[in-house]
Amino acid sequence: MNSEEIIEKLKSAKGDKLKDTEVTFGDAIVHLEPGSLREVAEFLKSDPDLNFDYLSCISGVDYLDLEREPRFECVYEFHSMDKNHSIRLRVGVPEEEPTVPTVKDLWPAAIYPEREIYDMFGLTIEGHDEQKRLLMPEEWEGHPLRRDYDLTREKVAFSHNIDFKEELVKEKVPTRYKPNQV
Amino acid sequence: MSVAEEGLLERNKDTMTLNMGPQHPSTHGVFRVVLEMDGEMVTSSDPDIGYLHTGIEKTGESKLYAHCIPMTDRLDYLNPPGNNLAFCLSVEKLLQTEIPPRADYLRVIMCELTRVASHLLWLGTHALDIGAMTVFLYCWRERELILDLNEMISGVRMMTSFIRVGGVMKDATPEWIAGVKHVIDILPEKVDEYESLLTRNPIWMDRTVGAGAMTKEEAIRWSMSGPCLRASGVDFDFRKKRPYSRYQDFKFDVPVFTNGDVYDRYRIRVEEIRQSREILKQAIEKLPDGPYKVDDNKISLPDRDKLKTSMEALIHHFKLVSEGVKVPAGETYVPTEGPRGEVGFYIVSDGSSIPYRMKLRAPSFMAIPGMCAMMKGSYIADVVAIIGSVDIVMGEVDR
Repeated sequence: MNSEEIIEKLKSAKGDKLKDTEVTFGDAIVHLEPGSLREVAEFLKSDPDLNFDYLSCISGVDYLDLEREPRFECVYEFHSMDKNHSIRLRVGVPEEEPTVPTVKDLWPAAIYPEREIYDMFGLTIEGHDEQKRLLMPEEWEGHPLRRDYDLTREKVAFSHNIDFKEELVKEKVPTRYKPNQV
Repeated sequence: MSVAEEGLLERNKDTMTLNMGPQHPSTHGVFRVVLEMDGEMVTSSDPDIGYLHTGIEKTGESKLYAHCIPMTDRLDYLNPPGNNLAFCLSVEKLLQTEIPPRADYLRVIMCELTRVASHLLWLGTHALDIGAMTVFLYCWRERELILDLNEMISGVRMMTSFIRVGGVMKDATPEWIAGVKHVIDILPEKVDEYESLLTRNPIWMDRTVGAGAMTKEEAIRWSMSGPCLRASGVDFDFRKKRPYSRYQDFKFDVPVFTNGDVYDRYRIRVEEIRQSREILKQAIEKLPDGPYKVDDNKISLPDRDKLKTSMEALIHHFKLVSEGVKVPAGETYVPTEGPRGEVGFYIVSDGSSIPYRMKLRAPSFMAIPGMCAMMKGSYIADVVAIIGSVDIVMGEVDR
């Protein structure tokens, strides 16, 4: 199926659950609310014509700087191995209620990307039994890929500052390199 | 029938917890796994990653697109051109530019050379893990030739940053093409040599046949990709199914095996070296003439000699170096086939010359839960073989 047919098929079956659909650069893209993710995902997996059996990746995006509502977005990329087509689900997650349901039971490979979403963006994954940090240390504070989490750097001991321990503080990078400041 | 199905795990004896890594030499980096052992048998495994977390995705949000390319080299450090290509294809999709044929062919040649080098490194270290020392030395010998070619064309042996937005870094020289031809000529003989050491070797087969077997359904469920997926019987290769960079111009086969064990993963990678050689041969023969980057000074740097004569070229050069490429707002993802599987960058652009978000889809990262599922019910000695056969690179797992 090509992207338009996928969108048509999805619209005819679950039209009321979809917020918006688009075909950009030939990719089928569907916008969703977190509440309807489970139902749409189950349909995508079980429908024999669509048969999205392969989870490619889950990306989180924080749209704070672009002042877009809702603030967060979880982007799910699915392939079908035998039909050779793909779909992208963009699930907008509001800041007030930062939860998305898990898809771990449908695609077990989601276990790591979902933990990464929690680690990096602080979104709660509803139904994920192992919700803990993945890449950052357990005791880390904050969620690094949020846009309001500043880039920081730590002092490292060299021979010239061997007594650095008293100044072991994180410091802000002076300016973020933006084109309009050049 | 696997050990778990035979009910051998139901013995209810006291288990032992065994820590493996993060400094274990067979984990190829800093991968730690806590194994729950019942005698010699693994009953559960709990992976621990993040030791090599460098925050490249976060750093990328404050760098120009051109500055992100050297960082993508360092994600999967055995496949730098493949990562550059995945990044550039996503950016070029947003820019909607058409890449000249010569640039595409040079990209393909670099990617396939790196695929051969990556598989050679994998074969050498994997054999070393299992105890076959000689293969390692032979593989290093041929890999060295490819690293020398990298140095010849880009000045760097590993982190080439050769593929740039809008084309490649510079044109191929006749010496480099002769070097690639030399590699193409000697490769079949050398691959036969490795196979004569391993493929029918009874010790090798004892250690690998049946170890870490994964069915077709399991491989899809756990999102394995690349050689691990094809070793389990799924015929899926992005170079064939969704050709990018003119892969449709080349005739090559996608090897598919059905058992999905460590032995099949070995066979498939050896076969892929042969097929990469076929692609390299055709690409060098058909290498078209023409420009090696797009003729658009808003995207790629103007030629060096033009800077001395053309004011316009000088201005473009200055603007491009100081401000970078302005990428139209939007978001996109282009999957490509790396040596370890599906590599792609999900890029969100806000219309400036800095990516708003760049996210790597790393095949090794997605393979880790599946790899731990393979370990369950296997012997402790096979754990090393399983980790080796999946070919994880911690640089892209932790990012």
